[in-house]
Amino acid sequence: MISSADEQLEQIRQRVFMALFIALAVGLHTLEALLPNPLPWFRVGLANILALTALSIYGLKGMWVLSLSRIFIGSLLIGNLFGPGFLLSFCGGVGACLLMSAGALLLKRGIGLVGLSLLGATGHVCGQLLIASLVVVQHQSIWLLLPAFLFFALISGVINGLAADLLVDYLLKHPAFCDCRKGFGRHHVEG
Amino acid sequence: MALGSLLARMTRTDRWLVLLLMLAAFASLWFVLGRSVGRSLLVYAGDTLAFTAPLDQDRQIELHGPLGDTLIEVVAGKVRVISSPCSRKICIGMGAIQRSGDLLACVPNRVVIRIEGEGGEYDLLSR
Repeated sequence: MISSADEQLEQIRQRVFMALFIALAVGLHTLEALLPNPLPWFRVGLANILALTALSIYGLKGMWVLSLSRIFIGSLLIGNLFGPGFLLSFCGGVGACLLMSAGALLLKRGIGLVGLSLLGATGHVCGQLLIASLVVVQHQSIWLLLPAFLFFALISGVINGLAADLLVDYLLKHPAFCDCRKGFGRHHVEG
Repeated sequence: MALGSLLARMTRTDRWLVLLLMLAAFASLWFVLGRSVGRSLLVYAGDTLAFTAPLDQDRQIELHGPLGDTLIEVVAGKVRVISSPCSRKICIGMGAIQRSGDLLACVPNRVVIRIEGEGGEYDLLSR
């Protein structure tokens, strides 16, 4: 039986770790904005590693909270809040979260973090291109970039997924996470 | 870390998703590369159509944008931006375009160059 004190402790613990995850994700978001890009909008999406971690440990709500706050705080730090760059990353983030939620709910049994990461990367690309074609560039030709973006999403999705899987494995070994895992993404390797 | 242990982190569903995304990427690539070579180019400065020209005549075009002059070159049916006043020079880095629906854009200088093919406007979405 779980007493309410334990529950409260668990809640506080989750809040603290979410704050840490968000801080880390904001750091990665900012770092990535500083890296040189081969093309505008090409992003490895390192911050998505933390979104996957939150999804795996705290479930859907954790992922949404983390992604959205990461984008707002990260954009505020970079200085493009509410600019076109922010709009792109916001819609990419929402697209990623939508596809990852769908994947987590529909393929609950089989899907691992790599699969979820792939869905996230694809959703990010689609969300970005959609908003770019509708608002920023206002021309359908932007969809010609789709193949390049998809190949890139494939590579970055697998890399991020593996990174998130390693991180979650590592975290779950710690007692703070032992019995609170209520998220998605099956682990092939038993930690 | 060994490659095998990384591979073991992917479930069967994950592998199917990798395959599916690869297929989607190749399919979209096929769509993009399969488009026909264009007939003429349309040049927009700001929101208005500034200039149209057939692709089979070589020429250089100078466009006046808010930042300065963008120089565009048509050679052997291909269009490229050869000089631009913008800071990041992405439009030059985009290289040459020749297929219908292709687009060159210099957002800072508000210049958009588009190629139109035969039989009206087709783009990736309307197929």
